[in-house]
Amino acid sequence: MHLFYLREASRSFRHHRGLAYTAILSLTAALTLSGVFLLLTHNAEHALATIGDRREMVVYLRDDVTPSQRDVLIGRLNDLYGTAAYVTKEQAWKEFQQQIGDPELLESVDDNPLPASLRVRLKPELLNHEAMAVAANQVSQFPEVEDVRYGAEWVQRLDQVREGLLRGTLAVGIVVALAIMFVIYNTIRLTVLARRLQVEIMSRLGATDGFIASPFVVEAVFEALLSAVAALAVLFALQQAMSAKVFSMAFFPASWALAFVAVTVALAWLAATLALSRVLRAVGP
Amino acid sequence: MISFEQVTKRYGERLALDSVSWEMDEAECVVALGHSGSGKTTLLRLITHETQPTTGSVMVGTFQSGRLRRSHRALLRRTLGIIYEDFRLLNDRTVFENVALAVRIAGRFADEEVIPRVMYALEEVGLQLKQGAFPAELSAGEKQRAAIARAIVNRPAVILADEPTGALERKSTDEILTLLRRIHSEGAALLLVTTRHEVAEALPARVLHLEDGRLTGISPPGSVLTSPESLVTGTQETSPAAAPGPGREGA
Repeated sequence: MHLFYLREASRSFRHHRGLAYTAILSLTAALTLSGVFLLLTHNAEHALATIGDRREMVVYLRDDVTPSQRDVLIGRLNDLYGTAAYVTKEQAWKEFQQQIGDPELLESVDDNPLPASLRVRLKPELLNHEAMAVAANQVSQFPEVEDVRYGAEWVQRLDQVREGLLRGTLAVGIVVALAIMFVIYNTIRLTVLARRLQVEIMSRLGATDGFIASPFVVEAVFEALLSAVAALAVLFALQQAMSAKVFSMAFFPASWALAFVAVTVALAWLAATLALSRVLRAVGP
Repeated sequence: MISFEQVTKRYGERLALDSVSWEMDEAECVVALGHSGSGKTTLLRLITHETQPTTGSVMVGTFQSGRLRRSHRALLRRTLGIIYEDFRLLNDRTVFENVALAVRIAGRFADEEVIPRVMYALEEVGLQLKQGAFPAELSAGEKQRAAIARAIVNRPAVILADEPTGALERKSTDEILTLLRRIHSEGAALLLVTTRHEVAEALPARVLHLEDGRLTGISPPGSVLTSPESLVTGTQETSPAAAPGPGREGA
């Protein structure tokens, strides 16, 4: 019976090639558009994750902190916030010298004014602006701590960029999902109307809605599958061209590509089912 | 098997059937005879649940008129075999595929049963050599025989024929009527609607006389009479029904 539905779907596809190709082209265009956005999002996410991993909190110690107090503090920071590394006053001065690089300017400073510090590589769940602000506030309450810095503004901006990307992806995703459903809904509606006589005859012979609808649903799913694969091929070609000529880009991981196809097919199935539940009532006697 | 009780059907202002009551037994042959617009086709549309009575009730087997679920309506139609004046064949399919479609729709047969069932039905109507032809390649008589093969392939308990010889010339009409007589003699109930007396006369049928939506009388088999005094009016005792054939679908 399943073979029968496949044959019927293939027959319908061949009879309405123009309509089917139009649907496939429209879907491929919409999917490619969303795919470009997904590709950019994926690469931006990747870049943000790399930058985000470098985010750290610098805890400046009071000058009068003893080594034992410092070690206790390191232990507590390790337990609560991440991995703390001790930077002596001398190490801090050396790093400062390397960063400034101007001996005359450095000579004008008599004594090493920099405090010793602890650099804390935060736990992943604390790598956002709100959590970092709370953590910095808590750490600043320790008596051994002079000050805490974590690049608040920079971290906030990073988070905003990430949120913007997420919102953009969601918005484009919703628009493309609606476009897919719109194209499939109308294609199936037109296909059924074009095969009105067949639907009428089948209904008079006692075919259930499921029997009549199945080949049309198979056809819609096939068109969506073809479109998704075509869009992925276009995106892969785009990614290769960009990597070769503009800047290095990564393609989706296989799981993303599979999800892309699966979601497209699921949307097509849903749209076709919706279209058929309405149009069969209108067409069938 | 089929019963109409005080059935009235209106299409807007137009009265298609007016308080019609009649019954049909298993394996019986009934012809509804009347001019165009007398309500014959409405009779069939009520049986197939394409439309609902305005008042009164229609029973087909265990199915009663009223709002049936679409799946039940489909089930009802699968117990019937329907033949149309304009054949209603799918032009993009061969004769074999048209008949096989009905077998697929019945959903009761395994894939390997489809070919023998279709071939048997095509042999019954004498179209086995035309199984690969498309409807456009057939004469009108052959098209109607293909439609009859499609109607009988699932061995339904009732065959409904809507003016089956309306589009045929004399020789094909005779062939189709012979075929219908044979199918009925094998156990299927047959309800045929026609405008032509000679068609009613050619069948061993009780005849319902319809005029402007009213049932004006019922003639027993073999006496298609037109003078009003010869007609028995109202609901009649049904004619002796032939024994139901083996393997028929119950309506």
